Amino acid sequence: MSRIFAIAFKDLRSTMRNLPALAMMLLAPLALAALLGFAFGGGQSFSIAATKVVVANADEGLSGPAASADRPAAGALVVGALNSPEIADILDVSEAPSAAEARKRVDDGTDVVAIVIPAGFSDAIYGTGAATGTTVELYENPTQGIGGDITESIVGQTLLTFNGARAAAAAASGLASTGGQAGPADELAQRAAAQYIQEGGAAARVAVSQRPPQLPQESQGKDVGVTGVILAGMMVFFLFFGASNVARTILDEDQAGTLPRLFTTPTPRRTILGGKFTSVFLTVTLQALILLLAGRVIFGIDWGGLDVVAALTLVAAAVASGLALLVISLVRTPAQAGAIGAGVYLVLALLGGNFVGTAATSTGTYATIQKLTPNGWLLRGWDTAMRGGSLADIGLNLMVPLLFALVFFVVAVWRFRKRYA
Amino acid sequence: MATVEVRELRKQFDPPGGVLAVDGVSFAIEKGEIFSLLGPNGAGKSTTISMLSCLLRPSGGDAHVDGHSISADPQAVKEAIGVVPQDIALYPDMSARENLVFWGKMYGLGGAELQSRVDEVLELITLVDRQKDRIEKYSGGMKRRVNIGVALLHRPKVLFLDEPTVGIDPQSRRSILDGILALRDAGMTILYTTHYMAEAQELSDRIGIIDHGKMVALGTHGELVKIVGEEAHVTLRVDHDLLAMVDSWARVDGVNRAIIDEEQAVLFVHDANEVLPRLFETAAAAGSRITEVSVTEPNLEMVFLHLTGHALRE
Repeated sequence: MSRIFAIAFKDLRSTMRNLPALAMMLLAPLALAALLGFAFGGGQSFSIAATKVVVANADEGLSGPAASADRPAAGALVVGALNSPEIADILDVSEAPSAAEARKRVDDGTDVVAIVIPAGFSDAIYGTGAATGTTVELYENPTQGIGGDITESIVGQTLLTFNGARAAAAAASGLASTGGQAGPADELAQRAAAQYIQEGGAAARVAVSQRPPQLPQESQGKDVGVTGVILAGMMVFFLFFGASNVARTILDEDQAGTLPRLFTTPTPRRTILGGKFTSVFLTVTLQALILLLAGRVIFGIDWGGLDVVAALTLVAAAVASGLALLVISLVRTPAQAGAIGAGVYLVLALLGGNFVGTAATSTGTYATIQKLTPNGWLLRGWDTAMRGGSLADIGLNLMVPLLFALVFFVVAVWRFRKRYA
Repeated sequence: MATVEVRELRKQFDPPGGVLAVDGVSFAIEKGEIFSLLGPNGAGKSTTISMLSCLLRPSGGDAHVDGHSISADPQAVKEAIGVVPQDIALYPDMSARENLVFWGKMYGLGGAELQSRVDEVLELITLVDRQKDRIEKYSGGMKRRVNIGVALLHRPKVLFLDEPTVGIDPQSRRSILDGILALRDAGMTILYTTHYMAEAQELSDRIGIIDHGKMVALGTHGELVKIVGEEAHVTLRVDHDLLAMVDSWARVDGVNRAIIDEEQAVLFVHDANEVLPRLFETAAAAGSRITEVSVTEPNLEMVFLHLTGHALRE
């Protein structure tokens, strides 16, 4: 046993002295997690950043005899709808004194969308003006994509209310003329529109609910920060490479002559190979521990309960080790190991969701595909752990990857025994 | 029983029909003896050592090292032998001391005994002052010394050295050869492979000449040289008409045989000092001018040439 650990620690020492390998194993996942976490909102839950909107409201409401308390300015109603608390997370609304100023703010990038409510908007809505129609202008920066689309949708929904009011006014006017009701048709239409706005419009107030993704029961619990999800994915992905780096030393030593020399010593071959296998496992376990600690200290990630974290870490290390040893056992040279290994790890990471996080992919076909990979199961386990799950909650997320690891090890051992018989 | 006994050892790669690298090699090495396997590259020397080191399984035959069979009891063989491979087999990112400590553990040493033995070996290979430097910073000769030192850690009974002086400077080579002689004097049994005739001649108590996997001759230096009959070679070049001159020289008293080899005359004579003046007289009488002359006393190169029909060096 001491010789197994002598070989393992010898390899571990070599890895610690290999700066490029350390950079790949430790710095790369941390850097990627930091960058991607920042891109997705700086550590908060996955969300779309609020779209900056500027409103130029030239409408002064109804004037003259048509004005009354029960006929609020339509332009102000639109602005009120945009400032609704329900959509405060989606729209960040400010006001500009003029249409030109509003458009300028879009042009210079201060805002994404400018909404220009023209003068006479209330007259058009209530049917008191000469114009029979009106247009609310949306001036948007086309490169901002989804923000402008959301704003357009909200504004459109709001305007539907007013179109309903106009329909109500026309109907009222028509009914009055056919029903013989007394009073001017304009007055009837205005009252109908005002009533619609107050009753129907209030009921049809713009409401957008932002719901989190529909998660399975076991995943519900604490909110998981986006950086945590990303770092979990990156950690598992780079564990593959960390394991591969150490496992490849079997081929390196074979070429360099130190492995054949080891075989001429009284140390049995199974001990030598056992030492190499142990070195892979110890190295990636250490790699995982460092990344977990860094995630906690640098990003404030709460990985979950200690028992859960320990179990997931050891199983992840076993999977990475087994997979790396399997790949090495199937190739002949270090160059082959690098090329083929990279391809295998990348495909597994893409299928397993290492780059997208399980929170966004818990259902559908992709979720099924994830279950075909050991890392997919591990990532779900990390997700549950970060949401406060217990060991019982992640039972399958431990057992299934462990089974994968066992198969990898068995095949690798069989191949190595054949090669180094 | 000899310390090393090899009987009809065979190794065929990728049978059937694959390369027969070692074809029925037999020899024995007595205790405290240096036995050299001399042959060109590809002769089967390294394959033979690999089998004796239990790195390769023989296709046929067997060998016993310190009374243990390489086929039946490889573990005991490995405990008795130290192997110095042809290529430097050390960890370059580790220091000499770290390498020796690690390899000592692989040989079953540990604790204070290991540290003490590492100190001794460092003294032996005269690298005490540089023991903490990484191997990658060493010269070729220093690496070779550590390479040998690793094989001595566990005090083996038999040392296998596979061409340990390839690619190093003459000074380092001299140092290594002196070290090997000192080990022999201390009682170590040594199997040494080389394609350098001079090394085999200087070091060995007995020499086995191997070519194309077969042992073609075996004995002391004196015994082997007698195969070519203690004849010296006189090699001459002339300015013209070489064929006629060789014909003339073949009839000179004291010349046993005369051949042409690569545009020069090669004469086999018993006593070069006696024959040379007659050769010059014969050339002068024929009007030929001798442009080059050399005399080679019987050596292993000649033995190899005689036995195999080609030169030892490629």
